[in-house]
Amino acid sequence: MSMGNDSILDAYLYETNGLLEQLDSIVLAAEQADAFSNDDINTIFRIMHTVKGSSAMMEFNSLMTIAHRAEDLFAILREQSISIVPESLRPELFDLLFQTIDFFRQEIEHIQNGEALTDNIDTLLEKINSFIAQIQGTAPAAAEEPSGGSEPAAADAPEGFPYGLQVFFDEGCGMENLRAFMLVTSIHDICPEEDFTFEPADVEHDPATSALVAQSGFTMRFRNRTDRDNAVHSVTGMGSVRTYQTMDPVETPAAPAPQPAPAAEQPASAPAQPETPAAQQPAPAPAAAAAPAPQSKATPVKTENHHKESLISVSLSKLDQLAAVVGEIVITESMVTASPDLKGLKLDAFTKSARQLRKLTDELQDVAMSLRMVPVSATFQKMNRIVRDMCKKLDKQAHLTLIGEDTEVDKTIVDSIGDPIMHIVRNSMDHGIEENVEDRIAAGKDPVGEIVLSARHTGSEVIIEIRDDGQGVNDDAVLAKAIRQGLAFEGVEYSHKDILAFLLAPGFSTNSEVTEFSGRGVGMDVVKKNVEDIGGSVSITSEQGKGMTTTLKIPLTMAIMDGMEVSVGSSIFTIPIHNIRQSFRISQKDLISDASDGELFKCMGEFYPVVRMRDLYQIEDGRVNVEEGILIWLEAGELSYCLFVDELLGEQQVVVKPLPSYLNSFNIKRSGIAGCTILGDGNISLILDVNNLYQGQ
Amino acid sequence: MEDYELQTEQVLTPDTVDDTLCKYLLFRSDALLFGAAADYVVEIITNHPITPIPLVPSYVCGIINLRGQIIPIVDIRIMLGQIPTNRDCIIILTINGMLVGVLVDTVLRMIDLDTATLCMSPAKEHQRLVSGMCSLPDGETMLEFDCANLLTQA
Repeated sequence: MSMGNDSILDAYLYETNGLLEQLDSIVLAAEQADAFSNDDINTIFRIMHTVKGSSAMMEFNSLMTIAHRAEDLFAILREQSISIVPESLRPELFDLLFQTIDFFRQEIEHIQNGEALTDNIDTLLEKINSFIAQIQGTAPAAAEEPSGGSEPAAADAPEGFPYGLQVFFDEGCGMENLRAFMLVTSIHDICPEEDFTFEPADVEHDPATSALVAQSGFTMRFRNRTDRDNAVHSVTGMGSVRTYQTMDPVETPAAPAPQPAPAAEQPASAPAQPETPAAQQPAPAPAAAAAPAPQSKATPVKTENHHKESLISVSLSKLDQLAAVVGEIVITESMVTASPDLKGLKLDAFTKSARQLRKLTDELQDVAMSLRMVPVSATFQKMNRIVRDMCKKLDKQAHLTLIGEDTEVDKTIVDSIGDPIMHIVRNSMDHGIEENVEDRIAAGKDPVGEIVLSARHTGSEVIIEIRDDGQGVNDDAVLAKAIRQGLAFEGVEYSHKDILAFLLAPGFSTNSEVTEFSGRGVGMDVVKKNVEDIGGSVSITSEQGKGMTTTLKIPLTMAIMDGMEVSVGSSIFTIPIHNIRQSFRISQKDLISDASDGELFKCMGEFYPVVRMRDLYQIEDGRVNVEEGILIWLEAGELSYCLFVDELLGEQQVVVKPLPSYLNSFNIKRSGIAGCTILGDGNISLILDVNNLYQGQ
Repeated sequence: MEDYELQTEQVLTPDTVDDTLCKYLLFRSDALLFGAAADYVVEIITNHPITPIPLVPSYVCGIINLRGQIIPIVDIRIMLGQIPTNRDCIIILTINGMLVGVLVDTVLRMIDLDTATLCMSPAKEHQRLVSGMCSLPDGETMLEFDCANLLTQA
């Protein structure tokens, strides 16, 4: 299998993934409505067609074959409308489609991982084939045998176009329909459109004609002999043409009508389409893929193009590069305008230009950052599918409501919240929604469970909430389980909040059995870790019998953040603003010593440990006397403590840079350093990771 | 800040091109004369402010901001157990695509060296930063600096 050029492969994967997502959402919506609209069928048909075409180009045969049959299926549906599928077969149709989508996904994954494609596609192929046979069996009138209409139709010259030219392409050259269409286009150049016809008529749009063209050739008919002779030149100039033959009128039928009336010649089974201007010839329908009215098809295509033209896809690495350069510009700008050389000078014009420059760089930074922002809708939509599948498998009834799908977050964050959200939704389905509908009815709830997935902005954070109206967390059961797992101790009083925290502890899974979807014991702690890796936090609230809400707080972007600059000795550190609760000037008597030689600070009725940066990082020139420094109360997730530093220098928006990978070998992340940033004067400030700073000591 | 790019053309005459000839950058660390293969060398900077990193081994001096790039700095004098002086000169090396700065006392010059004259170092104790040694025409002995293995010395 040839992999082709990497960039082509990238484009293929990008496009196919996009199409599959579109397909997924259409099928899900259609399943709920229990019917396909004509638009849906057309879109699915087009998607299958595109997947088939591009897969054929990339030589991904398994994808191509399946897409081909699915396309055939939809060609039938498109022609006969959804009514051809009896109610009883609908669920089967949807399942079949989901299986097909899953198959595509799996193959795409194989391609992405550079693995070989699945060879054995017979099962799925067989399913599609038998389904096609089934629906054709139920509508015998529509099931048109390919051998029926096409051959004789090709032999009959339509009236008014006596001069024929039949072209045969090389065997096995592939894409015969498109080659034929290219031929038509080139003949358009030498011959006016109304002066010739060709068949099969819909070679441009209907790849199913490919087989017919390969088998019985591509026939063109001309009104004038000269045009035909000119066309021969075009044909000989084309590649992949095996042979051609000209056909002159044998016996001109009496009274050739100026414009043929095709309706009379149409086979009875083909639906009459009088308002179709291009239907010179009833399309032979080998796989029942007849020409639909071109207008009905052209309209959706046009609107889609309109959308596409305003969007372009850019590789993420280029955006990263742009963001890096913009970050540099912002820093350089402040280096220039705050240059020590300018001190004491009165430069009116310079100050004015500098202000203008600052405004522009700010704007540039905003634009560069907004480029990386994408809506969470794609991630949210995927959950529809998970809820659907789990409803079927677990035999529960639940409905997923999405709120705030168009909330935008940084691309890297969108990528990393998909798995956590999926875990939580699965948990809600598996553990949250009641096993029996009767239980729900008895509790006075809607028999159909509801899971609400919502996203909203608050300043520099995105809040994602997954709420279910299931049975909620049973504190006693969780505690019993935590004790069994060795996470809690018997006889100790735990608050409701403490008990919920066990759910996030590693190795905790309340389901006593491992199910297909959740219960592997690596659930919520993985969620917590993933979310914390991107600087977010997870919290759970629950009321027994009412349901459970999981809230993810995630920073909008990891590339830029608001930070508080603090100094310790000659070092400067940046603390993320969202971790800071308050800062205090204190005196020595406010500090309380604890048993293990540590210090505590009492604030709002609670005690918090005090961490001195000077001691933690062994910075010798840091201040020792608490009256000279400042205490900052920090909070990250469940963790809360006070940090003692020398001075607060001020708030600043900083561009986050990762530390060199060499330093990772010293486990720098564990010592509470998340990254670094370049200050206005070109110096570096280390960004503290409040979560690891205290635990890491 | 006096940054200067290396001008290798000035040191090399064009007709010395040979398969076994390699360019080496000579630098001094305490009493030792080292030579680093020029393929690894990106540039030399002096007196650059270094931001210290807490809780790392002492030979990791910290990081610097070199035109927007964050580069870690390693003091080989501490790695070799020598006493660091104030004369700080940083050689920026690119090792497997990663930039790293090496603090040394002074950078001397570029030389052409016939790699055939390089021989294995007989000594064992500083083996970890030395991959070979050879005598220079002026009678001094150069230790070949082991760039490739610098980063694995954690």
